[in-house]
Amino acid sequence: MFRYLLRRLNLFLATSLVMIGVLFYATGLFPVERTFALTGIHSPTASQLIQIEQDYKLDSNGFMQFIAYLQQRLSGNLGVSVTSHQSVTEELGTVLPASFELAVMAAVIAIGLGVPLGVLASQSQHKLTQNTIMAITLTGYSVPVFWLGLYLSLWFGVDLGWLPISGQLNLLYEIKPVTGFMLVDILLSDSEYRISAFKDALLHIVLPATTLAVLPFTVVVRSTRSAMMNVMNQTFIRAAEARGMHTNTIILRHALPNALIPVLKHLGLMLGSFASYAIVVEMIFSWPGVGSWLVSGIYQRDYTVIQGGILAVALLIIFLSILIEVLHTVFNPLSRKDLYASN
Amino acid sequence: MSGLLVACGPQRLPSGLVYCSEGNPESFNPQLVTSGTTIDATSHQIYSRLVDYDALSGQLVPALATSWAESDDGLSYRFTLRENVKFQHSSRFTPSRDFNADDVLFSFNRIIDKHHPYHGVSRTGYPFFQSIGFSEQVKSVEKINDHEVIFRLARKDASFLSNLATDFAVILSSEYADQQLALGHPENLDHFAIGTGPFTLVHYAKNEYIRYRRNPDFWGEPAKVDMLVYDITPKSTVRLAKLIAGDCSVSALPKAGELPVIKQHEQLSIESQPGLNVAFWAFNTQKPPLDDVRVRRALAYAVDKQNILRAVYQNTAIEAIGVLPPASWAYDSNKKLLDYNPQKARDLLKEAGINNLSIDIWAMPVARAYNPNALKTAELIQSDLANIGVKVNIISYDWSVFSQRLSRDEYDSVLIGWNADNSDPDNFFTPLLSCSAMQSNNNRSRWCNKEFDAILDRAREVSTQAERKEIYQEAEAFLAEQVPMLSLAHAKRVALTRSDIHDMQLTPFGGISFAQTSQTIQEKN
Repeated sequence: MFRYLLRRLNLFLATSLVMIGVLFYATGLFPVERTFALTGIHSPTASQLIQIEQDYKLDSNGFMQFIAYLQQRLSGNLGVSVTSHQSVTEELGTVLPASFELAVMAAVIAIGLGVPLGVLASQSQHKLTQNTIMAITLTGYSVPVFWLGLYLSLWFGVDLGWLPISGQLNLLYEIKPVTGFMLVDILLSDSEYRISAFKDALLHIVLPATTLAVLPFTVVVRSTRSAMMNVMNQTFIRAAEARGMHTNTIILRHALPNALIPVLKHLGLMLGSFASYAIVVEMIFSWPGVGSWLVSGIYQRDYTVIQGGILAVALLIIFLSILIEVLHTVFNPLSRKDLYASN
Repeated sequence: MSGLLVACGPQRLPSGLVYCSEGNPESFNPQLVTSGTTIDATSHQIYSRLVDYDALSGQLVPALATSWAESDDGLSYRFTLRENVKFQHSSRFTPSRDFNADDVLFSFNRIIDKHHPYHGVSRTGYPFFQSIGFSEQVKSVEKINDHEVIFRLARKDASFLSNLATDFAVILSSEYADQQLALGHPENLDHFAIGTGPFTLVHYAKNEYIRYRRNPDFWGEPAKVDMLVYDITPKSTVRLAKLIAGDCSVSALPKAGELPVIKQHEQLSIESQPGLNVAFWAFNTQKPPLDDVRVRRALAYAVDKQNILRAVYQNTAIEAIGVLPPASWAYDSNKKLLDYNPQKARDLLKEAGINNLSIDIWAMPVARAYNPNALKTAELIQSDLANIGVKVNIISYDWSVFSQRLSRDEYDSVLIGWNADNSDPDNFFTPLLSCSAMQSNNNRSRWCNKEFDAILDRAREVSTQAERKEIYQEAEAFLAEQVPMLSLAHAKRVALTRSDIHDMQLTPFGGISFAQTSQTIQEKN
C-alpha cells in the first residue's frame, strides 16, 4: 500500500510539473513583453526590472528560467493582477472559497438526492417508475447548462420573484471576511443582522447550486442504479436473502457500500467537465468564484490572472482526480488485487 | 430548508441603497480620468469642488468656496473658502485639521506644476485638464490666508468657473498626501480616497462592489442613506434582473430595448432627463486615407442616422446635427449641415480617387449614456458603408484594453462620445477637438487645426451669451466643413429605480449623485 501511495504521489508531481511546463511555455507566447506577462507590472521602474530579472533568471537559458519560474510560482508568487494591481495569490484567496462553497452545496444536493433516487430506480418493480426516473435523468444530462441556468433565473428570479439570481449576498449586509466562506463568515460575524444575512446567503446559493448539481446528480443516479442492479445479482446478496435478512438491511449494509465504489470512480472521471460546468454557472449567476474571476481576466487581457487561474484550477483537478483514485483503491479490495499482483 | 426560513420570521435588511453600476472605476481620483464610470463612482460621492452647478437651474452655486470675485480685467479670481469643513477619516488617515487653502493649492498645483512631487504619480496624466489647456491657462494659485485663495490666469476665459465646477476639479487633502508621500506610497492617495463629500469610501472589491458609508461630518446636508453600495454588473440584462429581484434599488444605463420590460413591473420606474451629451464617430485624421477631407465627408454622407436612432436608441434620442445638443444654450436648430446622401458619398470617393476602401471601426465595449450599444451602431454603419462600396471591420476589446489601445493612435475610426461636465458650450469643443486635447489623447480625431482653435479662443474671450452663441455656431459650421468626426445622436440620461427610491436626481451633465436620494423603509419578506 505504501508503495502504491508513493507512486500516486509521483504521478501527481509529474503531471503537475508537465502542466506548469506547458503554462511556462504559453507565458512566452503572450503578445506582450515577457517581464509584463510574468509579473503583471506594466512599466517597471529600473530597480523593479532588476529584481524581476533576478527572480526569473531572464538572462540565463530556458531550463534555468523554468526552474526560477517554478520556484516563484510554488512559493506563492503569482505576480500582480494587471487591472487591479493586487497580488494574484491574494485574489485567489478570496475567490477560491466562494467556488468551494458552491461546489460543496452542489455536491450535497447531487449525492443527497442522487443516491436514494438511484437505489429507488434499481429496486422499483414498476417499469413506469424506472422509465420516468431514467427519462428525467437523461433529460438533465442532456440539457445545456447555460440554457438551464438562464431559464431557472428567468422563472424563479424574474417571473416569480422568489429567489435572487446573482451574487452571494445582498450587498447591504456588511460581512467581514474571516475564512472566505460566506456562510461560515456570517455565523462568525457579530452583526445584528446575522440571522437575516444567513437566510439571504442561503437563498442566493439555491439557484446556482441547483444548476451546478444537475449534471453530477444525473451521473450519480444513473451510475448508482446500474451498480446496484449489478450488485443485487451477486451471490452474496442471494446468500443474505436466503438467511432471511430484511431487504432494507441488505441494501443499506451489503449492497449500497459496494455499489458506491463505481459511482465514486464515475464522479472522478468527470471532474474536468464539472469544473468547466462550474465556470459557466458562476458566469451566469455572477458568483464571485474562481470561474468568473478567470473569465473576466481573459476579457481584460489580465495575463497574470489567466495564468494564476489556470494553475489553480488545473492543480486542483489533478489533485482531486488522484485523491479519488486513491480512495477508490482504499475502499475497493478488488482493485488492490491488481496492485498485489503487479508488485 | 424553506421551513427553516419561514420559522425565522421576516427578513431584516440594513438601511442603505444599492446601485447596479456598469463597470470598475479605473481610479478613485477623478482628476486622473475622463471615464464616466469613474466619475459616477467618485466625484459627487467622495469629493466636493470649490463651486458646483445647481442641477436644476444650471447656475453656479457655492460649495467649498462660499463666495468668489472676478477682477476687472478678468485675469484673477479670488475665492473665500468655507470654514469648519472636515475631511473624511479612514483606517489609513485621521485628519488633524480642517479643510483650508493648502488643500486647494495642493489639488491644483498637482496638475499644473510639472515638478510637484505628486504630478508624476498619475500614470494617465490629467486628461481633462490637459485637454482644456489648464496649466497654460492658470499661471498660479496663491494662498492669501487660510481661507482665501487667488487664481491668476494667463488670459481671459469665460469658461474658467465652469471648468472649476466640473466633476474633475475635486479637492484632495494635502495632509493625507504628505503623509502617504512620507510613507512611500503616494499612489494610495488616488486609490484609498479621502475627500470632503457626503460619502466615505469603505471598501472596493474589483469586479464585485464598492462600499461607502455616510460621512457624518459632511459640510452640507448629510446624505439620507446610511450606506451606499455600487454593485458592479457589466451586463445590462443582469442589472435589469437584479433590479427586478430587488438586489439593487437603482440601475444604470438600461438598453433602449429593455424599457418596455420595465413597464410590466409596477414596482419599477424610469427616470429620464434630456442629456448634455453627444455620440459621435471620430475619424483618425492623421491616418491616410482619412486625412483627406473628401473621404471623411463621403463617409459622413453615407451614414443613415435615422436608422441608428431607430435601432440603437429605439427613438429615445435626438438626431445630432452638430456637436452641441438641443439642451445647450448655444444650440441652433435651423442649421442642418450634413444630410444622408449615398450618391454624393460615392461621387466624393470617386473624386478623391479611392477604390476598394476598407476601414476599421472601433466600437466601445461598454454602454454609456450617449450610446447604449456601440457595437450595434458599428454594424449599422457597416451596412450603410457597404452601399457605397466601403468595407468595414469592427473591432472591440474589453474596456481597459480598449482605452489603452485607443491612446496608442493605431485606429482608423472610433465610435465613442462625450458627456458634458458643465453647461458651458466650450465643454463640447475644447476637450474634444482642440490641439491641446490632442496631446492628452482626448481628441479622438487626432485633429489639430489652428484656425479652429482661434475660433474657440475668441468664444472664450467675449462674455455675453449672444455673442458667444454666434461664435460657437461658426465653430459648428467649420466642423461640418472639415468633418473630423460625425455626430450621431444626443441621448437622454436614463436610470431605472425601484419605486421606494425618492429624489433620485439625474442632471443633464456630469456624474451621478446619491447625496439626496432616500428610500422608504420597508421590511422585505
